[in-house]
Amino acid sequence: MTFWELEHTADVKVRVVAASLEELYSEAARALMSVIYGRPGDNGVAREIVVLAHDAESLVHTFLSELLYITDVEGLVISRADLSITENELRGTLFGEPFSPAKHSGGREVKGISYSGLSLRHEHGSYILDVIFDV
Amino acid sequence: MIAGIQSIGPNEWQVPIGYVPGMRVPGIFFLSPSLSETLEEGAVRQLANVATMPGIVKYSLAMPDIHWGYGFPIGGVAAFTLEGGVISPGGVGFDINCGVRLLSTPLREKDLSNRRELIERLFREIPTGVGGKSGMRLSGRELTEILTDGAAWAVRQGYGLAVDTVFCEEEGCMAGADPATVSEKARARGVPQSGTLGSGNHFLEVQVVREVYDDQSAKVFGVSPGQVCIMIHCGSRGLGHQVCTDHLRVLEAATRRYGISLPDRQLACAPLDSPEGRAYFGAMAASANYAWANRQIITHATRKVIESLYGVPYSEMRLVYDVAHNVAKMEEHVVDGKRTRVCVHRKGATRAFGPASPGIPSPYSSTGQPVIIPGSMGTPSFLLRGTDIAMEKTFGSTCHGAGRVMSRTQAKRKITGKEIRESLGKAGILVRAPSDASIADEAPDVYKPSAEVVKVVHDVGLSRLVARLEPLAVIKG
Repeated sequence: MTFWELEHTADVKVRVVAASLEELYSEAARALMSVIYGRPGDNGVAREIVVLAHDAESLVHTFLSELLYITDVEGLVISRADLSITENELRGTLFGEPFSPAKHSGGREVKGISYSGLSLRHEHGSYILDVIFDV
Repeated sequence: MIAGIQSIGPNEWQVPIGYVPGMRVPGIFFLSPSLSETLEEGAVRQLANVATMPGIVKYSLAMPDIHWGYGFPIGGVAAFTLEGGVISPGGVGFDINCGVRLLSTPLREKDLSNRRELIERLFREIPTGVGGKSGMRLSGRELTEILTDGAAWAVRQGYGLAVDTVFCEEEGCMAGADPATVSEKARARGVPQSGTLGSGNHFLEVQVVREVYDDQSAKVFGVSPGQVCIMIHCGSRGLGHQVCTDHLRVLEAATRRYGISLPDRQLACAPLDSPEGRAYFGAMAASANYAWANRQIITHATRKVIESLYGVPYSEMRLVYDVAHNVAKMEEHVVDGKRTRVCVHRKGATRAFGPASPGIPSPYSSTGQPVIIPGSMGTPSFLLRGTDIAMEKTFGSTCHGAGRVMSRTQAKRKITGKEIRESLGKAGILVRAPSDASIADEAPDVYKPSAEVVKVVHDVGLSRLVARLEPLAVIKG
């Protein structure tokens, strides 16, 4: 597993570890879906995404906030993201499946992505993201 | 107690200036010795961080349900001067106007036959949980009217009684709402979620008034022992969450532009009299109005179900009161001996205006406003009243709930959702949720005991106990 929950009293704190930045973003998307729906989605539907921000932390924050919007409004339960990423811009494709109450009722709504406790670092060849989802 | 914190009275603690660099005022929080055992240092640091913000007056405060949030601690209260002071989404939270309302019925506990059918009917009528969508088909114009008029819009559409709005904080409609500052994204989330309960700790509960502590006030509020009541706890749904996310981004840039230095990025703020500060206030007030309309629509659905199942006339189900516990508001308070208009942020804290305060319904003028403190699933909820002491000490504020003490990961290791549902069932409490998994991390003992939190505010005098309500059946989102 490349993401898991860390101890946090009030909210959900997640650590994501990946070999590349692209994989990190895709795994972060799966982590977010797992919290909201109890599981990430399966492949099926594709959708383009573009996100701009002013630095690396803002980019991951804006990306995850955008996923909250997309999953809420479009009912897309994301399975992975295929992205190309620079310091302040990402573009690519999200994959997922339509929300189904029978399959996706094992989680809880995430209200927002917290800036507190957000850290993105590159250590010993791995990218590590810690992020708190406000629930 | 954590090092550096001073006791200044029974259940009252001071965080001195200097606890973190740049504090402009001291911090004060209210906590009993037993609740102190689970106090997190991170929450105290957040309380101290708030004290560094420009224009803060008197104290940075926290109620006994204090715990670690982001930006402000949960349970945090702070007031800022209108000139030179700031407004911050981190002092309100993502769920703008998350709040609670209490509906009374003429039913007694013994009249409540067939509880399973009652809870199933309510669950069917009120969209609940992740992905729950409204049966209403709001037009863009209708959404704008909701953002402007709040609960009054819902009443105009037939979702309630004219008198309902009188018994809401701000009469269910906050002045200064500006729909133009609510983004298209927020609107897109708001349209399909109007009248939905949401998930997490939000609930609709059928309760019984188990004990009355203050006969006179209970009489004024219209509650008596053995009476069946309904409690509704929810907020502004995805619309409010999106407003917070959108404006945090704007205010983050504004914080730098106005040269405000902050110890935590999530305290992003702007002067109240700046374009960015005004825009956030307008959007926050609009979201608050959406939440009041939301609770009003859910109230309507609840009344219809009870009317059809038990033959109770719609108009005999009275709204006792509706309180907001995540909001920033312009209020008048005494600062340095003078009545001064300030912007009070309550982040997981409830307004608790005392007797004869402006802004409370005239029938409650003698008692102070009703304060509604929801329990966690399976634990009691409390009805209290606002006090003059709250006006003096906390800008008329008190606690909002129990506050978590156990993480979700710990909770899930300890007990499953199915076990929680079955053990509550044995105690006579029916739980209905979209799935057992969705209640797995909401076991009663992951929260501070609500009775203990409420006892602190009662003992300090920030509000006074009126009644205890116990759950009979719960819908969890």
